[in-house]
Amino acid sequence: MLGIAGLSKRLGDFTLTDVNLTVADAEYFIILGPTGAGKTILLETIAGIYAPDAGTITLDGLDVTATDPKDREVGMVYQDYMLFPHLTVAENIGFGLLQRKAEPARIRESVQEIAGLLGIGHLLERTPGTLSGGEQQRAAIARALVLRPRVLLLDEPLSALDAVTRDRLREELKAVHRATGTTVVHITHHFEDVFALADRVAVMQDGRIVQTGTPDEIFRRPATEFVAAFTGMENVYCGVSRVRNGEAAIDLGEIVVRTVTAIEGDVCVGIRPEEVILSRQPFESSAANTFRGTVTAIRQNGIFSRVFVDTGLPFVAVLTPQSVARLGLVEGEPAYVTFKASAVHVFKR
Amino acid sequence: MPPNRDALPHPTPFKALFLAALFGLIAYMVVVIVGLVAYPPLPALLESLASPEILFAVELSLVTSAISTALCVTAAVPVAYSLARFSFPGRRIANTIFNIPLALPPLVAGVALLIFYGPSAFGQMLSAWGLDVVYTPLGIIVAQFFVNLPYMVRVARSAFETINPRYEYVARTLGCTEWGAFRQVTLPLARNGLIAGLVITWSKSIGEFGAVLMLAGATQMKTETLPIALFLNMSTGDLDLAIAASVILIVISVASLSVFERYSDTREVF
Repeated sequence: MLGIAGLSKRLGDFTLTDVNLTVADAEYFIILGPTGAGKTILLETIAGIYAPDAGTITLDGLDVTATDPKDREVGMVYQDYMLFPHLTVAENIGFGLLQRKAEPARIRESVQEIAGLLGIGHLLERTPGTLSGGEQQRAAIARALVLRPRVLLLDEPLSALDAVTRDRLREELKAVHRATGTTVVHITHHFEDVFALADRVAVMQDGRIVQTGTPDEIFRRPATEFVAAFTGMENVYCGVSRVRNGEAAIDLGEIVVRTVTAIEGDVCVGIRPEEVILSRQPFESSAANTFRGTVTAIRQNGIFSRVFVDTGLPFVAVLTPQSVARLGLVEGEPAYVTFKASAVHVFKR
Repeated sequence: MPPNRDALPHPTPFKALFLAALFGLIAYMVVVIVGLVAYPPLPALLESLASPEILFAVELSLVTSAISTALCVTAAVPVAYSLARFSFPGRRIANTIFNIPLALPPLVAGVALLIFYGPSAFGQMLSAWGLDVVYTPLGIIVAQFFVNLPYMVRVARSAFETINPRYEYVARTLGCTEWGAFRQVTLPLARNGLIAGLVITWSKSIGEFGAVLMLAGATQMKTETLPIALFLNMSTGDLDLAIAASVILIVISVASLSVFERYSDTREVF
């Protein structure tokens, strides 16, 4: 188990502020956040490269805050692989075992075993410069895993790869995690990684952890405006919330949105584009919010269409192209925007 | 229709003029240098090259430059690594101070060394211990070291700066101490840069004149390095010996320059 309590670190322009995290054994833990949020410094501090200004790091109950990196049994994999270019792939993977003065025969055996698990057994005599990005990243993961680390730290391991390689290596990371039961802390700014891999997620912003939970909790109930924007919540508006009998009326200026919340005063609301229903006529339903507007734009975006409707506030809804055609939605024509009270996520401003 | 590019004179006047400047100056440099080598009749040149004075100068130059280069490399590695990696107050100033001897005329550096090792309290103390630097072969090494250390520091610093520190971070998570990571990862990756720096430092110390003249003097068959031999024989009108010393210096310069180019080019691989 990895425990981080009250961790703070200032380094140049980056800061970590009062980071608290607990990662259980064999858990796949993802830290999500934009570039510059301090994620890499957090990993490097866990690895022992930097000494924290305040706070403690524990591994299996032992305080390792002041332990040298070589004695922490923490593996580190960077986005740009950092394979030693003057050594072969086999020498790279065996590097850590060599430091532990393992027998050459045992090193060879362990290297072959882990290389087989990651599908790079045929590349062992090559030098890193001759490998593709995906192969280099597999070698870097093998180099860390062969030591059976207590925690494996992955710093955006998929970001430098092309889309196809990224998808494949993501599946392999999942398989390797299942096969080895290694505790993993994985940094990313890709949302796909979260759903594919994470048991739990922490969202980081400006050096702070702003939310921790399961992927579904983060996605369904973003705790702050930042998390909402980051996780793909697009219809974000700000206004004033008044609560009466448990029901809130949120005045957004042009329209008043109804929902159920206890938050009063200055708030922002977020409604996911996929939770917005469009129609040509108003209709009877359980949904509490219906507004009339005008279609301002229809854009094809991958397999979905994004339809923009101006109701005084600009809404965006995600529809299939078939629905757009069936409803006869056309730019400049009126349309109705409908969404349920429970689709409205409210954050304090 | 605008004029076709093929319709222009070929090569264009622009290209012709610039290339003419390039090749004209190359010819000028080669003629000047080859002219010096070809000036004395070959038998006279060979005889001068084999003269005891030139042989002494070659040996003294090789020994002193080898020692001072070794000292430069040994001292420059920690200095260059610190300047490249560590942040500490006054880092910029430290950088500037290490560049001072680059901008300073070697004669001035020589005078400063002469004062420091001669009449100063430190110089007197060394003298009392039997370590005479002024006007001795030891002075040659001291002068070469002082003047050439900044070159080695500069090249080594840029070699370390091109190496991502994350290589060391990874090595340390894999079980290396700081020393181990430096020896097993950083030094091998900096190897070509360090070799390039070593060669240029050695070549410069072989040719060092001003600082050596000031601190070690120009005593025939005692502190007579190749440049000093060139100077002494020129001033006594012994042109053949002077040219012999020059020819050796030309060969050393060209050879070390080609080695430097080779290693400093491949350095970008990492």
